[in-house]
Amino acid sequence: MNFSSILLPSYIAVAALLSIGLYGVIAKKNLLKIFISLSIMETGVNLLLITIGYVPGGTAPIENGNFAKYVDPLPQALVLTAIVIGVSVTALALSLLISYYSKTKSLEYKGGMKW
Amino acid sequence: MVSYPVLLIAVPLLIAFLLPLSKKYASSIAFGTLAFNMGLSIALFFNVYGSGKTYEIIAGFAPPIGIFLAIDSLSAFMALIINLFAFINFYGIGKGKDYKFSMLYLLATAGSTGIVITGDIFNMFVFFEITAVASYALIASKKNEKGLEGAIKYMVLGSIASSFILIGIALIYSQLKSLNLYDIASRIQNMSSNLKWISFSFLLTGIGVEAEIFPLNGWVPDAYQGASSGIASLLSFGPSKAAIYAIARILLTIFPYHSTYEIALYIGVITLVIGELAAFMQEDVKRMLAYSSIGQMGLILIAVSLASQGLKYALMAAFFLIISHASAKSSLFLLSKDEKMNGIAEKYTGILSVLTLIGMPPMAGFWGKWYLMLASISYRLWIVIILIFFSGIVEAGYFARYLYRSFGEGGGEEKRYKAAMVTIATFSIIFGLLPLIYKIASLQLWGGV
Repeated sequence: MNFSSILLPSYIAVAALLSIGLYGVIAKKNLLKIFISLSIMETGVNLLLITIGYVPGGTAPIENGNFAKYVDPLPQALVLTAIVIGVSVTALALSLLISYYSKTKSLEYKGGMKW
Repeated sequence: MVSYPVLLIAVPLLIAFLLPLSKKYASSIAFGTLAFNMGLSIALFFNVYGSGKTYEIIAGFAPPIGIFLAIDSLSAFMALIINLFAFINFYGIGKGKDYKFSMLYLLATAGSTGIVITGDIFNMFVFFEITAVASYALIASKKNEKGLEGAIKYMVLGSIASSFILIGIALIYSQLKSLNLYDIASRIQNMSSNLKWISFSFLLTGIGVEAEIFPLNGWVPDAYQGASSGIASLLSFGPSKAAIYAIARILLTIFPYHSTYEIALYIGVITLVIGELAAFMQEDVKRMLAYSSIGQMGLILIAVSLASQGLKYALMAAFFLIISHASAKSSLFLLSKDEKMNGIAEKYTGILSVLTLIGMPPMAGFWGKWYLMLASISYRLWIVIILIFFSGIVEAGYFARYLYRSFGEGGGEEKRYKAAMVTIATFSIIFGLLPLIYKIASLQLWGGV
C-alpha cells in the first residue's frame, strides 16, 4: 500500500468509518442503530477499495484515444458489486426488523448472548 | 467424460429467479433443478476422480485476468456432498412449500456450491453473500420470535464478517493486483509480511463467523434453535461446510505457513473443547446439536490445519469428518422435529448418526478420528490425541442422554420425510465402507500442497 500524502486523508477516513461502524454495532442496543452502523462499516470498506485503486493524477479508465495515466478500474467494479450486496442486505435487515417489531413491540434485541 | 461445472451455479440461480413466474409448480421445478444439480455434481465428482483436477474458464478470458472455476478433489467432493444432501433434504421437506421457500433454498444451494468450485477470491465473497442472505431469510421463514431473533443475530455477525472478508481481499489486491486464488498463492511471498498477516487475520475472522469457529459462533445456537428442522439440516451440510472449505483453501493454498497452521490448530482445539462442553450442558435438543456442531467444526479445523502441512492422513481425516458430520448432523436435525423417536426409521437414524459422531467403526466418523490420530501421532501432538478421546467421551455422554430421553412411542412423520432422514443418515456408513475417499485424497490439489 503506498501511503503517498495525497491518499492519507482517505485512509484516515476509512479507519474512522470502520471504527465508528464497529463501535456502533458493539455499543448500541437499538437494532435500527446497529443496522445503520453496519452500513457505515460497509461504506468504509468501499472507500478502502476505491482508495486502493486510485492512481494520483489518473483519469477515468475510458478509452478515448489520449489517456496515459488512469485509475485501476477493477476495484471500482468490485465496489459496485459490494454496494449492491450491501443494499440488499440492508433491505432484508429492515424487513426482518419490521416483523420483529410487530412481534415484540420493541426495536431492542432482547435475546443477548446466552450459553 | 465432459462436464460443465458452471451449470452447477448458473442453472439454480436462473431457475430461482424464474420461480415466481410459476408459483403453482415452484416446488416441483425446484426439485427438478436440485435433481439436475445432483446428477451434474456426481458426474463432476467421477470426472475428477478419474482424471484429476479440472477447470473451466468463464467468458473466454484466460486466468489470471479472467474468472475461472477450479475443481480439484476437495472441491468436487464438497460440491457432491452439498448437492446430494440438498436434493435428499428437499425431497423430505420441500413438498407443499411456497415459491419463496423453494427460491431461497435454490439460492442457498447455488451459493454454497459456488463457494466450493470458484477459483476467484472475490467470487467467493459474492457467493458467501448469496448463501448468507438466503440463510438469513430461511431462518426467519418460521416467522416466530425465536426464528427472527436467530436470523437477526446471524445477520449482524454475518454483515461484519462480510466486511472483514472484503477488507482482507482489498489488502491482498492492493499488493498483488490479482484476485485469482492460485495466482495469489504463487506470488504471496512478494507481499509485505505485515499486510500478509493482517489480511490473513481479516479473512480468517470473516470466514470463521460462517464456519462456526470459536469465538465467532455466538449466532449458531440461536439460529439453529430458531430455524425449522429442515433448514437447520440445510445449514449444517450447506453453508457451514462451504465455509470450512473456504478456510481450508486459505490455509492450504494461499497461506501454507507454519505459523498460520499453528493459529488454526489452536483455534480448532479451543473450538472443540468449548463446543463439546457447552453441548454437554444444554437441555434443548437443537441447542445441544448446534453446540455439538461447533465442536465437530473444531475437529475438522484441526484436520484441515494439519493437512496444510502436507499430511495426506490429515486430508483424509478432513474428508471423513466432513462426510460424517454432514450426514449425521443433518439427519439428527431432521429428527429433532419431534421430541420423541417414534418408529423404526427414527430409531435407526438416531442410533446410526450418534454412532458415527462418536466415532464407532465402521462409520465415516471412525475413519475421520482414526486418520486424525495417525496424523497427530506423526506430528507428535499428544494433546490433540488426548482431546480427540476426551471429545469422544463427552459426545458419548450427551448423546447417550439424548437417546435415553427421546426413545418412545407416538405419532409418526410422513413417508417422504422419513425416507430423506434415513437416506442421509445411511451415507455415513456408505462412505465409511467405500474406498472412494482413499483415492480422492491422494489426487493433486490445485495450487499443490
